[in-house]
Amino acid sequence: MKTLKYWLISGYTKGLIGMAIFYALGFYLIQAMRNASGAEYDPNPGVMIGAIFSVIGFLLFAGVLTDWLKWIVGKRPPLKHGPPQGRPEWTRYINVDNNHKVIGIQYGITGLFVFLVGGLFALTFRLELSQPGMQFLTYKGYNTLFSAHGIVMIVSILLGVGAMSNYLVPLMVGASDMPFPRLNAFSYWVSIPPIVLVLAAMVVGGWDTGWVGYPTLSLRGAIGTQLFLLGFYLFGFSSIASSINIIATVAFMRAPGMSLFRMPIFVWGALSAALIQLTATQTVGISLLLSVMERSFGMTFFDPAAGGQPILYQHLFWFYSHPVVYVFVLPGLGVISELLPVFARKTLFGYKWIALSSLGIALVGFLVWAHHMFVSGMADSLRIPFMVTTLFVAIPTGVKFFSWVATLWEGKISFETPMLFVLGAISVFLIGGITGPILGTIPSDMPLHDSYWIVGHFHATMFGGFVFPYFAAIYYWYPKVTGRMYNEKLGKLHFWLMVPGFWVMSFGQMSAGIAGMRRRIADYDPALGVTGTQILITIAAFVIAWSVIIFVYNLIASARRAPMTNPNPWRSRAPEWQTASPVPELNYDETFEVVGGPYDYGKGTPAYVNMHPAAVPGD
Amino acid sequence: MSVGTVEDHAEHHGVELSPEQQVKANRFGLWLFFISEIFLFTALLVARFFLWGNTRPELNQVVGLIATSVLLISSFFVYRGETAIEHGDKKRFMSNFLWAALFGTLFFIGVVVLEWNIFGLSGEIAGIEIFGTLKPTDGVFGGVFFAMTGIHALHVLSGILLLLAAWYNGRKNNYSATDNWGVEGTALYWHYVDVVWVFFYPALYLIGTAV
Amino acid sequence: MSDETNKTVTAGYKRDWRIGWIVFAGLMVLTLIEFAVANLSNPSAVLLIIIGLIKAALIVYFFMHVYRLWREEKHG
Repeated sequence: MKTLKYWLISGYTKGLIGMAIFYALGFYLIQAMRNASGAEYDPNPGVMIGAIFSVIGFLLFAGVLTDWLKWIVGKRPPLKHGPPQGRPEWTRYINVDNNHKVIGIQYGITGLFVFLVGGLFALTFRLELSQPGMQFLTYKGYNTLFSAHGIVMIVSILLGVGAMSNYLVPLMVGASDMPFPRLNAFSYWVSIPPIVLVLAAMVVGGWDTGWVGYPTLSLRGAIGTQLFLLGFYLFGFSSIASSINIIATVAFMRAPGMSLFRMPIFVWGALSAALIQLTATQTVGISLLLSVMERSFGMTFFDPAAGGQPILYQHLFWFYSHPVVYVFVLPGLGVISELLPVFARKTLFGYKWIALSSLGIALVGFLVWAHHMFVSGMADSLRIPFMVTTLFVAIPTGVKFFSWVATLWEGKISFETPMLFVLGAISVFLIGGITGPILGTIPSDMPLHDSYWIVGHFHATMFGGFVFPYFAAIYYWYPKVTGRMYNEKLGKLHFWLMVPGFWVMSFGQMSAGIAGMRRRIADYDPALGVTGTQILITIAAFVIAWSVIIFVYNLIASARRAPMTNPNPWRSRAPEWQTASPVPELNYDETFEVVGGPYDYGKGTPAYVNMHPAAVPGD
Repeated sequence: MSVGTVEDHAEHHGVELSPEQQVKANRFGLWLFFISEIFLFTALLVARFFLWGNTRPELNQVVGLIATSVLLISSFFVYRGETAIEHGDKKRFMSNFLWAALFGTLFFIGVVVLEWNIFGLSGEIAGIEIFGTLKPTDGVFGGVFFAMTGIHALHVLSGILLLLAAWYNGRKNNYSATDNWGVEGTALYWHYVDVVWVFFYPALYLIGTAV
Repeated sequence: MSDETNKTVTAGYKRDWRIGWIVFAGLMVLTLIEFAVANLSNPSAVLLIIIGLIKAALIVYFFMHVYRLWREEKHG
């Protein structure tokens, strides 16, 4: 009962109420203005303004903007620290809180929830695809589900990246918090209303465009398309705000002695991802916003019937949406490089090369976007240059693979769950990686484009580059976050169900693609001979789903275990394992000093960090 | 899940920023935001050159020049205001920021009333029609012109609100020669909006042949 | 904070004030040059972009004090 009361006065409830009020305000304001001017009925402008208002309403009611509004009227409210007064401590996780660890956990739980929703969509249309013909979905329903699966999963991955970056980066560099804690809270809370908008888009007519939202289909689709475009656009604010914080944390808040090349390697991955988020997000934002304006105000950018250019949308869109896959995988690959030395008890092979390869992938990632458009009728002269730059991506990625193999070489490897997921990630990312150049080469891309081969390639890179490392990270840092050990048996069960399941799914998708199965199509010809493969993929999808349910159960059940006695269960050198678990409010008892290399396992060299630096004379 | 209590660690913490470092971090963060926004405005310029090529709509050259000058003048006032507060001259800071907000508002009105002509007016000065005739529905010319000026005008509007907020905080005696991040941040933002217009002005009014 | 308006007219203040005037005048002149170039019979887009870059550089350096990112300044 008490719990319900706290939920009813939580930031989420208040925000959603504000969102509804402001949405109605914006929508009816525009409708009234249009009625007064005698314009014919068109819901698009009202929905546009309503959606933008609704985000402001959400933030206002949830209390994210309170301190900033006070600044405007000349007050200087102090930054709120610590657990809430007069309420149980857990309520800080459902209200606006400025601590980076609380925000990281908020990101993580929201991301996991959204991940389950997106997975549910996938299972639904996966079941439909297991037989030719339409079983229980309509064409429209199928289109909406696969489109929503795409965008919801992307949102969940971005939230997962936010969870890791927010929780780990300040902790790893020795900071007490991020430099702009209020902006940090903003970047989490501004991500909630777009999720609501996108889910709402599914029930007001849905949309058919996939997550890419290509014009001209997006310009003519039902009103759900408008809400989807707006939700996607508004989510960008979260990415930009959080990237500013991460870059500034690395720039200003490193512990004494922590030079750039002595940072934990995950920080490099998070930093490179933040640089992409900071810059590229704006171009997808503008392409979506221009689509919305074209729908709302009859302006012309992309509709060729009125002189526009649909290819322009694709250029702007992919200038973000290609680099964004590196936003997903760079933190994930950072986790792999971070965990391998701990479980192999060996130095990370080629630290500098790994660090710079993250930046390299981020930079090259900006120069490859048009490889998504080899068959969309763009200028022929662009094809070869983009093929060449695309194949260049294989170089920094290859650097990472060789470093991982060399790190494992002759290591004293132990196979706890996090390590299993890291090894699984490497195997899956290898599948995704080597199928990439085949798609990046124009002659083989021509027949494979828009086939299920792409679906297989993409899911392998996403699972290998993000999902598996993310699970590894959750298992690895679960004791740090909660002070309790997860259930090792359930963790291993999760792994041994998920990895073979994913292999079957991935190879199944690719072989169906070669056989001629198109992607984003609700039905297929039984004469293709892929029905058996489709059944196999569906079974594998359900195996993965069950393994994820075991994972979620493990997280919840293990939180009630007895606190662990060993403060450093992985015998890690990293600074975050030298402080208490759960981590104190301001992370460390005092500022530590970096005195050694981060990954010098088994060398007998001094520790990475000196937690209690002796007072320096004259200090 | 728990992150400990503040009582246990009241005076213990990891790296924290001193007030001077916090200002440096604020400045750095604001510049990161500018870098991010460069991509937004560059994308708009890309759209302009992709869709217009070497042509442009027929626009009133005099209005464009005056609007550009008005924005430069407001930027100049902001510089004077910021310089004043950094030398502890509160009086001049206040008056210059008010002047800047006034010229910013003039620019905003110039765009919305003259160029967009939202009230559907018409009138001539010295034989030249001063109200715009381009409509947002006029093909790619209207679309791109209204998108670029509109998104820029939103930045101008938020800048004016920031200028007024800084002025109000000045009235409340919140700034001094050494503690004036609010003024500096506002000034940076306003100059940035001006820099954007430095590129938008030739792209919209000057480059290409009018058709 | 006491009212220091009278004793703050230092040499540095005067210099900064003068810089403002000079940069502003430069920006206005460059804008007029842009306008004139564009109304020639055969305007050069490259020239206009270069002038724009110069104007932006003036604002970024003198008005926005970009160097404060990597240099300590007296006030702040």
